[in-house]
Amino acid sequence: MSHKLFNLKTSQARWVILVSYIVALALDTIALFGHSTPVIPPLTLFFLLYWCANFLDRTHLFSAFILGLLADTLYQTPLGAHALLFSIITFLMIRHRLRFKGYPVWQQAFFICLYMLLYQGLNFLFFNPILNSDDFVQYWTMPALSLFLWPLLAYSLRKFSHTAVNG
Amino acid sequence: MQFVIAFTLAIALMAADYYGQLMGSFRSLLLTTINPIERVATLPKHLYQLATTDFTNIDALKLENQQLKTELLLVKAKQQRFSNLQLEVSRLEALLGTAGQINTQSLQIATVTYYSNNPLSQYLTLDKGQLKKVSVQQTVIDAKGIMGQIIRTTPTSSRVLLITDPDHQIPVRIQRTGQRGILSGTGHDTTQLEFIPKNSLVEVGDLIESSGLGGVFPAGYPVAIITNVENKEGSPYFDITATPVADLYQSHKVLILSQATPYLNFDEKLPETPKEKPLELIPSTLGQTHVP
Repeated sequence: MSHKLFNLKTSQARWVILVSYIVALALDTIALFGHSTPVIPPLTLFFLLYWCANFLDRTHLFSAFILGLLADTLYQTPLGAHALLFSIITFLMIRHRLRFKGYPVWQQAFFICLYMLLYQGLNFLFFNPILNSDDFVQYWTMPALSLFLWPLLAYSLRKFSHTAVNG
Repeated sequence: MQFVIAFTLAIALMAADYYGQLMGSFRSLLLTTINPIERVATLPKHLYQLATTDFTNIDALKLENQQLKTELLLVKAKQQRFSNLQLEVSRLEALLGTAGQINTQSLQIATVTYYSNNPLSQYLTLDKGQLKKVSVQQTVIDAKGIMGQIIRTTPTSSRVLLITDPDHQIPVRIQRTGQRGILSGTGHDTTQLEFIPKNSLVEVGDLIESSGLGGVFPAGYPVAIITNVENKEGSPYFDITATPVADLYQSHKVLILSQATPYLNFDEKLPETPKEKPLELIPSTLGQTHVP
């Protein structure tokens, strides 16, 4: 099943990817709605990393840039800040995605955790959020949560894309 | 190569947005794109509200109706008193020969469709936009006080930066003493009153109102109540924490005020005022003034 999916080109699954990005943005918006906590990882970046690791014929940097701009609008941060963060993380993923693809899911999750730690670190440097003690713990717990979230997401996206493309 | 382009473009965008505020229309375009997603995100909450409203007891609705009627009566009574006071102030101003200070501002009611409350950004999304002539820098209030100001508009919605957002500042004064300062957001549902010197009279419970300086916010609207005053050594100012009086995250309906008193255009001719005789200083009684 996975072999069939991985041999696909981005153009064959364009709509699947687009729909998944819209869903991810909606989920991020729901996560931000009301009294949100900084423990929830950015799902748009999660989805982006998944497609970047599985569709090797494109760099996905354009998608990273556009999604970053939309994230800037959503989080009310300076325009281009999240675009830069997303581009950096995607670039790092591109550099070792061939090896990443070959890893078992738990090992992939470990690398995703490192990426999220880098994302949170850069986020902290860029935006310098004022965190109280509770927020501080939650903020730095986010990478650990992504460790558990990645296998779930990878499985769901694989299933979804397989159903959508192959019927 | 693509990464270098994306990197450079992102840095350029950040600089343009942060220093020059050149990206207003581009940001509005992005906001318009994200608007439907925001609406979808609030759908579960709306559905829940719809479902729970259907099961609301008719007795509870009757009670609420009664309470609202009573409240309306009280507000109408207050309004009458306010109108009388306004007339009286106008008469007194006419006697003193000064220009009128009370601005009648037009209002628009808007509904809150989305709100965010996290340490990075605290904002509301309203259902009125450019089509309803809502513009940037308009003040948003609720029944209790100032909530924030409009920072972005799209044709059908607008975004309000709340007074608790870390990027928000508002010129204020303490109502009891008239001491002026700047109220900044902290990102955690509270605000900080800055630049209040240590020789000032400040107490917990003092009401902070907008001073009107800067011309963005109208003067005299309640903003926050002082909840903590700390006297830190080595600093010339008090460390003051204040809680907003407005229900920032509970209000469903809010009011958008029209622009406050605009800046004076110095190229424009000022309206002529009746000339008054200047105060005369009598040399023999220096230090005393004589009003003719």
